[in-house]
This record gives sequence, C-alpha cells and structure tokens, in this order.
Amino acid sequence: MADEQDATGAVATEAPPATPELEAAPGHDPLLHAGAGHAHPSPVKYVGIAVLLAIITSLEVAVYYINMPDGLMVAFLLVLAVLKFSLVAAFFMHLKFDSPLLRRVFVGGIILAGVVYTVALLTLRVLV
Amino acid sequence: MQAAIAPAPHTPAPGDHDYAVTGIDSRKLGMWGFLASECLFFGALISSHLLYRARAPQGVKVPHDVYDIPYTSVSSFVLLMSSLTMVLALAAIQRGDHRRLRLWLLATAFLGTVFVGGQVYEFTTFTHHGVNLSSSVAASSFFLLTGFHGVHVTVGILWLMSLVGISLRGQLPAEKHLQVEIAGLYWHFVDVVWILIFTVVYLVPNHH
Repeated sequence: MADEQDATGAVATEAPPATPELEAAPGHDPLLHAGAGHAHPSPVKYVGIAVLLAIITSLEVAVYYINMPDGLMVAFLLVLAVLKFSLVAAFFMHLKFDSPLLRRVFVGGIILAGVVYTVALLTLRVLV
Repeated sequence: MQAAIAPAPHTPAPGDHDYAVTGIDSRKLGMWGFLASECLFFGALISSHLLYRARAPQGVKVPHDVYDIPYTSVSSFVLLMSSLTMVLALAAIQRGDHRRLRLWLLATAFLGTVFVGGQVYEFTTFTHHGVNLSSSVAASSFFLLTGFHGVHVTVGILWLMSLVGISLRGQLPAEKHLQVEIAGLYWHFVDVVWILIFTVVYLVPNHH
C-alpha cells in the first residue's frame, strides 16, 4: 500500500490488504498499535468525528450569541465543551480502543484536577 | 531502542525494556502520565484566570472587553482540524504510507502555525487596546494561560517538524509508528485544552 519505499527498506510492496487502514504494516506490533488488540477507526470515521466537532463548535458560537439567562448559557457551553473533549480523547487519542489502564491514568488526572480546583474556587467564592 | 516484537500480547521478551508488566509500551504510558499531570498544570492556570478575570482598576479594560469571538472561533476551528490531520498522519504510517505521513504531519504543523500566528495577532490587538501583561491582574492571568498554551502548541510544531525530518532521512519506518502516536497524543491534548479554554475563558459571560 506504500506510495514509496522507505530508505530502511521496511515497507513492503505487496498487494494492499482488504482494509488497509486497519491492517498492520510489516514488522508492526498489534500490541503497540491498539493496546489490547483493538483496531483503530478508519480515516473515514476520523473525518466524520471532525465534522461532528465542527458542528458542535458552531453550536457553541451560536449559543454565545443567543439571548438567554447566563446560568443556562454556561450549562449549555460546558456540556458542549465536555462533548468535544470526550470525542477527541475517545477517538483521536484512541482512549476508547486502548488499554483501560491508560484511560484510568488520564481520567484520574482530570478528576484530581477537577476536584482540587473546584474546591479551591468554591472556597474563594468564585463559583457561587 | 525500538522494542523487539513481543512473542505474544502481554508477554514481553527478556530484556525488552520498552514494555512494562502492564503490556503497554513504557513510553506511551509515560506520555499519558505526563498528560495527566498537565491537567493539573492547566487546571491551575484556568482556575487562576476564573479567580482574577474581573479584577482590574476602575476604568481599565479587561481581556473580556476586547475579545473578538468570530476571530477566535475560526482560530479554534483551525486547531480542531489539526487534530484530524494528526490522526490521519498516524493512520498513514500505520499502513506504511510515508508520503502521506509527511503530508499530514506538515498539514498539522501548518495549521498549528496558523493558530499560533493568530494568537500573536490577537495579543498585539489587545495591546493596542491597552490590555497587556501588566495592565491588570485579569490581563496577567489571561496572557499567562493563553501564552503557556501557545508555547505548548509551538513545542508541538517543532516536534512534528522533527518527525518530518526523521521520516525524510528514512529513519521512521512503519514499525516505529509509536513515535508518531506519542507526538499525536501530545498534540491532541493541546487541542482538548484549547476546547476548555475557548469555552471557559472566551465564551462564558464575565460581568466586569
């Protein structure tokens, strides 16, 4: 499937696999590729996710310009931001497909940061 | 230092130092640990901005007074799309397509450069409106947060360009795709941080 051969000669020139985006390259370790053996999404799916992210961004900007109570606007904006964050982390960063340990490490950091700074901002009366 | 191919999943070969007992490459696990710590780093900067964003002397503008939301929206969109090109670069090397790998890496670096250029323009505009690093505590916290993010993007651009150079020298074969994946994790993280900054700093109302 390669357009050119790498200088190391590592790239094979055999017939392309049936689903090239999900097949392993020669010398490729599936453990490295997709954690515990799960395949990554296809490029078409990546483009679909990007379109979805663009639509959500447009919604965010629309919500900013719509006249609504501040509390409701903040709630909408935060939900949309969390949705975008989750889509990028799950699909582009492959957390949905990789080892659960990686998910725990990252989500652990997010939860720790969220709790620490929420408590700090509540204590300083920023969020009330 | 590239790991030998493990004979079976979760059974690292003797002397195979890149694999921990978890069955996950140590470099990848290390990057995720680093990104988790970065959550605390950016969390501190975002919190300090929330704390100080309305604090300025009477009559002095705060960043919120001079935001250009349509402009920043386009800038955010550019960074978001760079995550797509980054993941397409990873998909390219995983199927051994080195030409497209370099193409998508260059596209990602270009989009990142457009974003940083936009940020420099934004900072310059703010300065012309009297909002600079020392004009108020609100402005200081804003420049600190967005400036550190811009530095992260710049580091990412340099990283991507170095990968392009390594690939051009033929030293990035398909089996070393983890190098691209780790750079990609960093790049996507910078993107998700901006998703939060764009919402919390720019879009959430601030009654000064």
